[in-house]
Amino acid sequence: MDSRLANSWRLTVNEKNFIKTALQSEIRIDGRKPYEYRKISIKFGRDDGSSEVQLGQTRVMGIVTTQLVQPYRDRPNEGTLSIFTEFSPMADPSFEPGRPGESAVELGRIVDRGLRESRAIDTESLCVLAGKLVWAIRIDLHILDNGGNLVDASNIAALSALLTFRRPECSLGGEDGQQVIVHPPEVKEPLPLTVHHLPIAITFGFFNDESISVIDPTHNEEAVMSGRMTATVNANGDICAIQKAGGEGVTQRVIMQCLQLAIAKATGITKQIKEAVEVYNTERSLRKIKRHPTSVGTIVQGGQTQTSGKEGVSESPGNHIERLKQLSGETCTSQSSEERKTTSTDGNAKNLIRGPTTWDPYSKGVGPELLKTSLASQGTSMPNEKQDLRNEKKPGEAEVEGHHPEDANPGSSAINESLTGLQTKKERTLEDAVKPKSKRKKKASSKTGAS
Amino acid sequence: MEIDREDGRTQNQLRPLACSRNILNRAHGSASWSQGDTKVLAAVYGPKSGTKKNENPEKACIEVIWKPKTGQIGKLEREYEMVLKRTLQSICILTINPNTTTSVIIQVVNDDGALLPCAINAACAALVDAAIPMKHLAVAICCCLTESGYVILDPTKLEEQTMKSFAYLVFPNSILSVLPEESLLVGGERMEHGIITSVTHGVMSVDDYFHCLERGRAASTKLSDFLRRNLQRHQTNPSKAG
Repeated sequence: MDSRLANSWRLTVNEKNFIKTALQSEIRIDGRKPYEYRKISIKFGRDDGSSEVQLGQTRVMGIVTTQLVQPYRDRPNEGTLSIFTEFSPMADPSFEPGRPGESAVELGRIVDRGLRESRAIDTESLCVLAGKLVWAIRIDLHILDNGGNLVDASNIAALSALLTFRRPECSLGGEDGQQVIVHPPEVKEPLPLTVHHLPIAITFGFFNDESISVIDPTHNEEAVMSGRMTATVNANGDICAIQKAGGEGVTQRVIMQCLQLAIAKATGITKQIKEAVEVYNTERSLRKIKRHPTSVGTIVQGGQTQTSGKEGVSESPGNHIERLKQLSGETCTSQSSEERKTTSTDGNAKNLIRGPTTWDPYSKGVGPELLKTSLASQGTSMPNEKQDLRNEKKPGEAEVEGHHPEDANPGSSAINESLTGLQTKKERTLEDAVKPKSKRKKKASSKTGAS
Repeated sequence: MEIDREDGRTQNQLRPLACSRNILNRAHGSASWSQGDTKVLAAVYGPKSGTKKNENPEKACIEVIWKPKTGQIGKLEREYEMVLKRTLQSICILTINPNTTTSVIIQVVNDDGALLPCAINAACAALVDAAIPMKHLAVAICCCLTESGYVILDPTKLEEQTMKSFAYLVFPNSILSVLPEESLLVGGERMEHGIITSVTHGVMSVDDYFHCLERGRAASTKLSDFLRRNLQRHQTNPSKAG
């Protein structure tokens, strides 16, 4: 449609000059330094294998699904991996629906090469019946918002989705052992994929004047820059792939500098992805635990009340929105996400544990973690949350078993006693055997809801 | 007789609703709507100049693009696009910006039943966020008919698949007006009792269908209240150029 040309976005000459001049003094228009990455936040959906990554203003959603197919002739005992990129018209008015354009294809190829050629995913473990049936992994990348640097965000989305994906377990049966029975998730726990390492893509932009290079360009900078390079590296220092398709020529020194910088950034990003996946996995295992509504014996009555998450519209929707934003499947972000974790487990809560009646927010020695008491009805969730809390806050500490956990805030003995009492009544699970905790978190929204 | 639903809800109980607007930066208007586990993201761009070949250039045109969570775009997606387009065309004021196209893009984030109503609600909220002129809003609900003839609201995917039949119903939202009651009536009936869209699947008797309509109407009042409260709470950004 030629009238669409009128709708395509162009940067004005003034804006272009401003960006270039600012870069000469090492300032970028969003306030970053030239080698500073934007904030990454990784969230996961309810199902396994769906992730949403936000890199500054860029938003990408990654979905992983799988299917049993016939393998390729020349690789009869390897599974397949295919990546589909959708430059949704939602992300940018200039994206057209229909066949992917060249930048969409390039993005798909970069992510694909990073995963396939570097053998990040173990495809041999995806084989079910050699030569007959293998698992075909399909990664769909939906670009929701184009704020620049789609490649990096898509790569992180693909990796997070792959790490949280679970494929169904299948076994061979039948008379000749040639029949494949796929077990549904209720029968047998699905298995995660074998990921050897995480190839992280880092994009650099090059500008005309005096070989200025920036990392993680935004949308405006992409319109100004004259060359780009994407280096896919992993935390071990291996270079998995480099993509520099034309554009401004740069000296070898600059390339080496960029590669070293990429490796440094990759370690940070890998750590972030792993942390987010860890939180998701914990939350997922909490969800799997079968809950009995009457498991908690003593309930400490307190001042805070909160309605359970099942009500219909007749409940005050205002509270709902806040709570549900945390409830509705978003299980983790890159920052500490204990609140989210708790609230998502509370989605099915029927009974509630109230906080102690004599809770004073300004009493000395009560840390922010203690201010939030969990509302989970089932005590089994308690030890897990505390375990993660403990893991995140005091990694070097020795594990403490039993009902008298350490307390960093001695002034809150009242809370401790009630928690201890509660702890004795909980069902014991495997998590209990590892690290029971005393600290509990309350939904942040319950305070806003009640107040 | 009470129907036992898997997740413990009663017959007329909806799943928890959540709506947030202005979540995307590039889109002129965006909204995410979730009913329980079903979550849909809607983005609006518009109005842009020009209409498509077969469209009437004397009116504004609405274009809907439906993106499924995974897989190829097939006939089901095209059907949803068509239903959504016709619904939105009846609520938007098309004479204000003639010869323009407003694009509504729907992205399915998670499908756990009642997908089309969720998408219609999300599209409505996104249109409000983009400040597209509309006559009134639309609220959509899904009503399922069980074997025993009971109507349950807002089914999950499992319930939808096992039920005899279900209907997606779209009503105008409830009116809050200072005008006297009589002037609001259209043909002797209140305006919000009208149906904008109805899509049914499966076989149901006429009585059952009217029963569904009644229940749907009752639920639509609750949905309208939720929508109104939600829209009044947040203010939209004044400008989203580029």
